[in-house]
Order: sequence, then structure tokens, then C-alpha cells
Amino acid sequence: MSAMDPTEVFRQEASELFEVLEGALLDLGLRPDDRELVDSAFRALHTIKGSGAMFGFDKVASFTHEFETAFDRVREGEIKPTQDLISVALAAKDYIRALIEDPQSTDDVIGDGILDDLKRFVSSDQPVAPVAEITAAAPVESKQAGWHLYLEFESHILRNGSNPLDLLEDLCKLGPCFVVPVTDGIPFLDEMEPEDCYLKWDVKLHAVCDKDAIDDVFMFVQDEMKLTLSPLEHVEAPAPMPLFQLLDEEPAPVAEMPAPVAEAAAPKPAAKAEPKSEPKPEPKAEAKRDDRGIATVRVQAERLDELMDRVGELVIAQARLTQLASSGSDLSIKMIAEEIERLASSLRDTTMGARMVPIGSLFGRFRRLIHDLSRDLSKPVEFVTTGEDTELDKTMIECLADPLVHLIRNAIDHGIEDTATRAANGKTEQGRIELAAVHSGAQVLVTVKDNGGGLNTARIRAKAEEQGLIAAGAVLTDHEIHQFLFHPGFSTAQTISALSGRGVGMDVVKRTIENMRGTIDLSTRPGQGTTVTLRLPLTLAIIEGLLIRVGEGRYIIPLSAVEECVELTAEDERARGRNFLNVRGNLVPFLRLREIMSSSGSPDRHQKTIIISTGESRVGLVADQIIGNHQTVIKSLSKLHSDVTIFSGATILGDGTAALILDVAQLVALAQSKVEKQHISEAA
Amino acid sequence: MALNPTEPKWSLRLPADCSIAAIRSVYDLIREAFGRQERLEIDCSSVDKADVTSIQLLLSTAKTGEAQGRPVVLTSFSQSLRNTLRRAGFASDAMIDQHFPQKRDGT
Repeated sequence: MSAMDPTEVFRQEASELFEVLEGALLDLGLRPDDRELVDSAFRALHTIKGSGAMFGFDKVASFTHEFETAFDRVREGEIKPTQDLISVALAAKDYIRALIEDPQSTDDVIGDGILDDLKRFVSSDQPVAPVAEITAAAPVESKQAGWHLYLEFESHILRNGSNPLDLLEDLCKLGPCFVVPVTDGIPFLDEMEPEDCYLKWDVKLHAVCDKDAIDDVFMFVQDEMKLTLSPLEHVEAPAPMPLFQLLDEEPAPVAEMPAPVAEAAAPKPAAKAEPKSEPKPEPKAEAKRDDRGIATVRVQAERLDELMDRVGELVIAQARLTQLASSGSDLSIKMIAEEIERLASSLRDTTMGARMVPIGSLFGRFRRLIHDLSRDLSKPVEFVTTGEDTELDKTMIECLADPLVHLIRNAIDHGIEDTATRAANGKTEQGRIELAAVHSGAQVLVTVKDNGGGLNTARIRAKAEEQGLIAAGAVLTDHEIHQFLFHPGFSTAQTISALSGRGVGMDVVKRTIENMRGTIDLSTRPGQGTTVTLRLPLTLAIIEGLLIRVGEGRYIIPLSAVEECVELTAEDERARGRNFLNVRGNLVPFLRLREIMSSSGSPDRHQKTIIISTGESRVGLVADQIIGNHQTVIKSLSKLHSDVTIFSGATILGDGTAALILDVAQLVALAQSKVEKQHISEAA
Repeated sequence: MALNPTEPKWSLRLPADCSIAAIRSVYDLIREAFGRQERLEIDCSSVDKADVTSIQLLLSTAKTGEAQGRPVVLTSFSQSLRNTLRRAGFASDAMIDQHFPQKRDGT
């Protein structure tokens, strides 16, 4: 267990701040008057600058400082954040990121060019009238003697790691400060939440400084506090002693006149310090650490992977113990086995929970993509996201990024029409792309929806015929025709652009999603748009499975795909050759797994059918026996077996033997192709 | 952190860590002690980690004691606690006395 490299910690923190900064800048493009967004961007910049300097990234600190200085006019309300300015600010953000992540790739000339652009935009003649708020923040009048502040923090602020005492200390660095705690809000013991903040402060700051200097002190908590600020007209007789003057000293009489804090903060004369033998207060950083409750811990991703692997091994060992215990007659061993099974199951859930990441972390990346594509293609697009809080295993999030980039590019490039076409079709000039995520049972549904022209089914069909994928005049549903879009090398785009049109992509998207044990589905309405739906399991590591027996072999079907289990009736048996099952009036095609697996021996007398589904398709799988549910730790197959498409992996059972995991999507496709062949032979 | 029931009056010594990380257990301890005896003496000499939550808890204890007419005596403020109080604006003993009328700096 090695400590993390501090610069690596900075890089990670900076990465999160970049997301905040980018999000704020992009939002600012939509809501240029939103002061909160300006402040949020400024806070992120300020932290990057400060942390960069602290960790020795001097170039980052100096570039960010210039960026911050230029952007300050926006913050002051003197300049409106135009689209041009936002674009340059985004480029500046990218440059800072490059300075941190790959300094070798950066060039000072490029950096200087960005700063020049930034300065040009902010110094151009486009000042806006200061809003009322800004007027209030006008420079301190000459007769003003300082500021009167009233500080009221939100109750949860201490839990977030913020320390009002540090803020008061920072405030006192601006000048002599007289701090009076307001204790009216302190509740009785029975009504108290000990970690909540109840104290408020009334502060008189005797310093002629800008309001901004005070705002800077509370920059990081301004969303979590109420700061009332009014000018002090004259020096009021201070009742209490200035803060910090008395630290480490004997109490002084109240009437004693205050000394400036600057003096108080300076090293004390030896004579004064001598009588005190008490230990000095801890350094500020140390004190800060003590004051913070540990709310979150940063953990390296590989440690989480390692933990998941260990849990997987534990689950396998537990399955073996359960099997051993069930074959014996010792009750106490059985009880322990059950207890361990319960604990292992709970540990599995907890570990999987620790790996869950909100999908919003992924969605955020696409805002920039859409912003840039929208600009490059001159297609104004509104980007709407919902369900950002939906959680998915971190590995899934990583795997999902590329397919979503492709789908979004396709949606803008091919889906959304140009403004002239949209206007001619009576649509709004601005297109709309919706990215949504929602939990659905043990799955997550991710949809990419555009309000463009929809799929051109006739053109897809013509292209499929041209490529010899279907015979001319073959009877196919629209849904079946749309599936050709997932065929390798298939593209209906009339021109190849830098973004899409080469026919490479949708097949890769489908393969990636299926490798994640997910499915992809398309639906479209001519003239109204297209929706691509991805159904994904919550995790790739351990799943709940249904253990079945076919001949001598045992197999796992992911439980999330199982709809129901029915017995194969004699009537269904008699219909041999047709392979359709009547489930409450609906015909469902079924596959005999004994045939697929080439099982030897005679089948069991009472065959069972497991109805599985992917999207809208349902298929029955006929097995000899349903053994029961099974916590399935997924192990990938060797390269030797990689071309066996109907299996997605393997697992180890309680008795140490292996069971193969059936790939539901592939089995459904297999069943459908059999149905099609049957149709064709019947038609012939 | 200890209750000394053998002493003539019950006293409670606060633990070294009275910061937010440990304040919940200190709170539980004070409430438990509060419910068990009429007169409560809280010894603050061992406190070496204090923050806003520690101050609030002591203020609330004093306020509750006063409201219920049950004396709560705070004794021997450690230097660390004293520093934290002053950082929070309780800049003089007079101010501290105002909020903790039952304070005793006895040794």
C-alpha cells in the first residue's frame, strides 16, 4: 500500500475541476447573465491556480493567473460572456489541461495566442451596464471605515469539511477584525445535532478594502452561507478584543484597546512569549485536517478492481462451502455456511456499490462534444440530459464512452437537419438531442434521442439490396431493415464527412454494447427523429444467474434476461419441427439447448422452457432441469473460445466444475434466424 | 473520557478529541451524564482537539443546565479549547464567563 503521489492527487483534482469549469463555461453560453456560473468557473480557476502553484506546476499557475485576470472583467459584470469568448475560454481550459497532463505537447506560442485572444475579447468595446448587485459592490467610499459583516452558515457546512474558524482567520488578514459570536441559535441538548453549525458571527472589519476581497474569503462556501455586508461609516468603539491578539496569551481586560491584527499576527516579542509554557497551537493545516469529518475517501481504481476480484473468489469459495455443508448432516456447519453465504452476498453488494459511479460524470463530457460539433456543422443544438444520478459500475462507464460519442456524432451529423431544412419542415431552428439514463430492474437504460429527420428506411433497404444483404423484394419489417445499420461497412451517407459516413462505427457500437452483455435497439419516426436505446447490466463482474442443466453440462443464464420458466407440454412436444411455444396466447419461438450443445443421452422426461427476452424479442430455451439461482462470478473465456459466440463467459460452481454463461443476445439472434429460415422454407 | 461515580459529585472528563470527528460520542456521553445526576461537572483539561462543534456542545450543555435549573460546572479549560474559543470570537475570559457562567478554572 503505497501513498499516492501528491502530483497525481493534484492531477485528479484538477481533472474534476476541469469538468466543473467546462460545465460552467458551456452553461454560461446558454445563460450569460447567470452570476452563479461565472462564480463557479472562477472558483474552479482559482483552485487550479492555487493548487498548481502549490504542487510546482508553475506554468499552470502563471497561465491560469492570466486567464483569471482576463476573465475577471466578466466576473465584474463589465463584459458579457459571448459565444466567442466562451470558445476561447474553453481553448484556454484545454491548454491548462495539456500543461498538467502532457506538458511536452504544449507550446508557449499557442498559450500566448490563446491569452491574446482572451484579452482581445475582454478588452473589446462591449461593456454592459453594471447590474444593481455590482453597484452595491462599488469601491469603498473615502469616508467608509470598513465593513460590517453578519455570517450565517448552512447547518451542514461543518460536515462538508469547511471550517468557519479558518474563514474568520482569513478575514482577519484583511485588517483589524472584531468578531462577536452569536449564540442565539444554539439549541438545547435534546434538540441538537452535534455536527450541525448553529453559531453565527457578527464581524466588524476595520479595513478599507474592496467587497471582492471579502467575497474571495468566502468564495468556496458562498453557496452554503448567508453573508450580509454593509459599510461601516465610522470607527465604532469595539467591545471585544480583536481576534487572535489573545491567542496563547492570558486573558486581557475587555476594555483594552484593540491592536491591529497585523501586529498581533507578527512574531511576539520574546518577553511576552516567555512566560507561556503551553504548547503552541497546531499548524493550520493540521488543525484543518482534525476539524474535517471523513466524508469521502479517494481510492485508486485498481484497488477497487482488486477488491472485486477478491470478493469474486470469496463467492466461489462460499459456493463450495455451501455445497459441502448441504451434502453433510452437521447442522452447525450448515448454519455457518448459511451465515457466510449471507455475509458474502452482502459484501458483494457493498463492493459493487463502492464501484458505482453516477453516469453524469460521463454525460458531462458530451456537452463539449456537442458544443464543438454544433459550431463546426453550423447546426444549433440543444443538449438535454436526464438521469445523471443513475449509477453504473465504473468499468461500464469507461466502456460506454466511445459508443455514446459515436451515437451522438451520428445524431448531429445525420439525424439533425440543417437549419434551412428544419425551417422548411416547420421545425424550430435549434435541434435537440436528449441523453437519458434510467434504472430498469437489474438494468440501466441509456437513450440517445434526436428530433431530426429520422431514419430513411427506403434508402437503408436500397443500400442493403445493393450490397447483396437481402434479395430484392424480400419481405422485411422496418425494424428488420434498420438492423442493417449494424452491419459492418454499412452506410447510407451520401458524403463522407470527417465525422461519419464511412460505415465504420455502428457495428463496433453494437459489438461493444454486446460485449458488455447489453443490447442496442433503434426506433425512429420519419420526420420526428430517432431514439437509440442501450440496455446495460449494472455490473460486469458478478451477476445473478439461473443455473440449468442440459444433458450432463451445466449453464448459466443471466437472471436479468429471464422472464419466466414454463414446462414444455406434450402439446408443444407434438408440434416438433415448428419450435413455437404457446405462452398465454402468444407464440414464442424456442430453441432446444440439447440440440445446440449436441448433448448425448436421452432428454429428461419433463423438459423445462426458460423464456428470455432482449428488448422486444422473446425466446424460449429448452433445458433438462432448472437447478436454481446462482451468484455468478464472471470469468472471461480464453482466446481459443472467443469465436464461440453463444457463450459470454464462464463461472466456477460450488463443486469446482465450470459452467458456461449463455449469451442471451446471440441466442435470441440465433432463434430469429431459425424462424426466418423456417418462414422461407414454408414460403418455398 | 470517564465518569467518576465514586467522587462526591459526579464529574465527566472530556476526551482529548472533541472535534467533529468525535463529537457525536462526546454528545452521547454528556447527554447520558446529564440524565443521571442533578449536578454535573465537566472537566475540559484533556481536550486537545476542539472546533466549532465542541464550542456549540458546551454552549448547549450550559444552556440546557441553566434552563433546567441544574448546575453544570465547566472546569479547567485546556489551552487548545481556550484557543478555539478565542478563534471563534470568545475573545476574553469575560466573554467566556458570559456564556459559561458556571465555568471554573480551578486546578
